[in-house]
Amino acid sequence: MLEKFQSYLKQRLAITDEQAQEATSCLQTKQFKKGSILLRPGDLRSENYFINEGLLRCFSIDEKGKEHIIQFAPENWMISERNSSVFKEPSIFFIDAIENTEALIVPSHFFVDIQKLVPHILELNILMLHNSIRFMQKRINMLLSATAEERYLDFIKLYPNLTLRVPQWMIASYLGITPESLSRVRKDLAKKHFR
Amino acid sequence: MPTTFKQIAAILNPPAPHMVGDGFRVHNFFPSGYKINMDPFYLLDYNAKIEFSARKHPRGVGVHPHRGFETVTIAYHGAVAHHDSAGNSGVINPGDIQWMTAASGILHKEYHEERYSQKGGPFQMVQLWVNLPAKYKMTAPKYQAIEHANIATFKLAEDSGVIEVIAGNYQSVKGSAFTYTPIELYNIRLKANGKAVLNTPEHYNTAMIVIEGSITINDTEKIDTNQMVHFNHTGTQIDIGSNEEAIVLFLSGAPINEPIAQYGPFLMNKPEELEQAIEDYNTGKFGYLEE
Repeated sequence: MLEKFQSYLKQRLAITDEQAQEATSCLQTKQFKKGSILLRPGDLRSENYFINEGLLRCFSIDEKGKEHIIQFAPENWMISERNSSVFKEPSIFFIDAIENTEALIVPSHFFVDIQKLVPHILELNILMLHNSIRFMQKRINMLLSATAEERYLDFIKLYPNLTLRVPQWMIASYLGITPESLSRVRKDLAKKHFR
Repeated sequence: MPTTFKQIAAILNPPAPHMVGDGFRVHNFFPSGYKINMDPFYLLDYNAKIEFSARKHPRGVGVHPHRGFETVTIAYHGAVAHHDSAGNSGVINPGDIQWMTAASGILHKEYHEERYSQKGGPFQMVQLWVNLPAKYKMTAPKYQAIEHANIATFKLAEDSGVIEVIAGNYQSVKGSAFTYTPIELYNIRLKANGKAVLNTPEHYNTAMIVIEGSITINDTEKIDTNQMVHFNHTGTQIDIGSNEEAIVLFLSGAPINEPIAQYGPFLMNKPEELEQAIEDYNTGKFGYLEE
């Protein structure tokens, strides 16, 4: 249950097997049924989720009832709502399960506690945060300037198998385009590449 | 040579059902329901008989890809319309078989046929995934639409009923479908107190599902509707007696014995071939099909 998260940490934080085991020993896994909502706007919860199996997503709903997907989190991804998990402010996003999911509940103090165990971790932790910021910068730029096709091609590099796991409209929602325009992109690609 | 009856390995009840799209409520007997070796058959989804209410917009499964194997749809009640990225379309009516060789890749969608959907009524089908040997996995896709009226049929003695030979051979009758590896696939339709004798090589992986009624196997084991019988390799002969009017789907095939790598709708030999399949699907190499 903890092995996946331990290798996730080892890949990023240069810690030993023993340190990874000790750091994660108190963490708990939870099962979420497809469709269940883990976090709602207004909720206060200092939890992050690491996905062992399944698929979570973070999204908002606008005044017209339209969903906007901020992030998908398949296996080996972490997902958090920072307002709630870090700043102790009410959440502004939803997190729900798109598939039956087994996730590790990682409390926010985990990343503080682990510093006591592995002193050099602060530096690496900061690098991880910068990496997230870099990712967000790229995502903003994509949403502001890229064509629908460029967004889609970037998406399939990041999440190759999600096209088989989530409906088209969710991918369109993540990309900030209409489902019709996603269909057009896929149709154009097929015209270019089909045999 | 003395007769050697094939021994029963297990009598399997249908596992808990799940929905495929909103149109198929299936019991997955294998690979996830029961860990039985049925190579060359990779998967069997059985939609036991249920009533679907009338609906204007047909239930079904939207556009999805397949690569590396064949899907065989066997209809008993209800009707399914299908469309694919190669421009093929058709309807699978009760008694019909659709044998789709996805091979290098196809996109398709399967919905309840419109008139059936508008009326509703009983629905019962089997979908099999038949694996392809490595050398055929990337060949061109094709269809074999086998209508009930044209299925090769063997009339059993003493007015016992008929064996519809979908694939393989039953005595002198050659099956309707072309297969890439040796496969015996029959719909056995027995009248009450009917009898049928089957013979299949020892090394074939063999099972049957009772679609309607109940039967007795080798004069000893009674099998009820919706149960599957999985056979051992020892023995070659299976005697079936019907306790009432019955339909039995018999499947038996020579194992391909190649490594399997499966992800979602792709069935290949190596993990890197799955990655390639996902990339090819994402970049339009399977073609395009409107939702």
